[in-house]
Amino acid sequence: MHLPMPSPQPYPKHSNKGVRRSQALMGTVVTVHLVGGEGTPEGATHHEKAVEHAFDWFGRVEECCTRFEAESEVMRLASQPGVPVRVSTILYEAVQFALAVAEESAGAFDPTVGYAMETRGFNRDHRSGRKIETALDPGASVSYRDVRLDPDNKTITLLRPLILDLGAVAKGLAVDLAARELQPFGNFAIDAGGDLYLGGCNPDGEPWSIGIRHPRRENELIDSLRVSDRAVCTSGDYERRNSTDDSHHILDPRRGSSAEDVASVTVVASNAMLADALATAAFVLGPDEGIRLFDRLSVEGLIVTPELKRYETRGMSEYH
Amino acid sequence: MDKSTLLLLAIILAVFGASVAAGHPAWGTFTGIAIILLAAGLAAGTLPLDSGAYFDERIGPSQRISNSLITMSSAAIVAIYAAGYHRTSPAAHRFDSQASGKASATIAAVVPPATANPATNTPAAASPAATPPVKKNNPRPTASPRKTPAGNSPATTTGINPSAGAEATPAVPHYKDGMYVAWGSCPHGDIEVSVSIEGGKIASTAISQCLTRYSCGWIAPKVPGGGLPDLPSQVVERQSPKVDYVSGATESSYAFADAVAAALSKALQ
Repeated sequence: MHLPMPSPQPYPKHSNKGVRRSQALMGTVVTVHLVGGEGTPEGATHHEKAVEHAFDWFGRVEECCTRFEAESEVMRLASQPGVPVRVSTILYEAVQFALAVAEESAGAFDPTVGYAMETRGFNRDHRSGRKIETALDPGASVSYRDVRLDPDNKTITLLRPLILDLGAVAKGLAVDLAARELQPFGNFAIDAGGDLYLGGCNPDGEPWSIGIRHPRRENELIDSLRVSDRAVCTSGDYERRNSTDDSHHILDPRRGSSAEDVASVTVVASNAMLADALATAAFVLGPDEGIRLFDRLSVEGLIVTPELKRYETRGMSEYH
Repeated sequence: MDKSTLLLLAIILAVFGASVAAGHPAWGTFTGIAIILLAAGLAAGTLPLDSGAYFDERIGPSQRISNSLITMSSAAIVAIYAAGYHRTSPAAHRFDSQASGKASATIAAVVPPATANPATNTPAAASPAATPPVKKNNPRPTASPRKTPAGNSPATTTGINPSAGAEATPAVPHYKDGMYVAWGSCPHGDIEVSVSIEGGKIASTAISQCLTRYSCGWIAPKVPGGGLPDLPSQVVERQSPKVDYVSGATESSYAFADAVAAALSKALQ
């Protein structure tokens, strides 16, 4: 069953030039701003349609990848350990990429932390508020090596009972697909709560200006960037704290506890899926190893520690 | 010299050394061994002891990996996009109809607090004219826009800043002096903005009421400056409701911009 959206707030706007709309999706508010199209009525309709199609991708990706709904494709996969399950292109590609990042970060990023996250209280659907509880053997320690892909038949096999957490990949993927939808228009911005893609220029014909939230001071920004045709993802320990203890939403898969050495990570990359996954990996790796990972993978990044010490890649200065 | 050339040289030296040692039994042995040692030294230079060559080795494979991750992510996006779904997925259809159904309802709900009816969008429609001065204005230090709104008529401003004044004048004279207040809404709540017009220009802008779930300090820092987006200052600086996107406060920045637009539309009446 696909839950009806409890609070979709389609918000069509033509002020500030172009079409701008927001909806509650994927546990956050997604905003799409498409510049231009106000010249003719046909142009406006065309733009509206494109924005609608961009939003459709979020719903589709969420249907496949959310672990908060027992009927999502990824949860149906979790209920059939040991057998090859044929999956959609979206789920297959998302898992394949997640495993590649896990391999590359030596397990600092691991999509198999789903069950650990669920038992640690990150078990509530952000939209419906419903809890999900899955019966798994809690003793089993799993890793990304327990997932097998068959590229010919597009099947996924879970070698042990586990839940895939594609949170760090799915939102970015949806942003990238929406960006692809809007690519022909050139100038647009997509914001999905911390995952942004900025295409071309803002309505003033300049690169988009992006503020990065200060991880400790509520009303401040720690930096601001000017970017064009790039994804910017920020992950912070201030988002989504657990209700029971004070742990946050990024788990160190190697230790089974929240990662503590980093307060926020921002990655600038060619697409949001890569940026989000690497931000999550760097969160776990810590500042030094995180920056080394960014350098190695030729993306730019900024890491802020809880003591507010800044670490950044050399290329980051290009965006200031 | 690259390492293969060095290695070749080392081998030639070693062979030469060996032949010297063999050909001149009396003194050649020593010389030969010396030449072989020199060859060995050269050969050692080609091994990872040489830092340059060592790093070449290290960077090579990792660049391949990085390319593969970037390629893989782009390929995944292309593959999914190409597979398409729009008119095939029933969920997407449901989503479509839901979205369009809600859209009209939301417009109706949003307009009343803004008090401004269809005229709300007028300043935005007028803004294409204001675009050139905005571009020119941005690179200037933030100090100058602060001077500009200090109650000066456009004529005086022209004196201070000939280029900006000349360009900005056509976009502004519509506003009537006074204080205008209007609301902007977003899914997080409402923002009330007051805009003060002096001498036909936007002299100051402030958030008079912040009823959003999140603090408005996000878009209007209590202590201005420091290079952080300060939307009320941007409005004065640009003489338009067009403000920057603030990551993490996107909705609020839009609500703010809408409120400014609504207030300015009152100033036009």
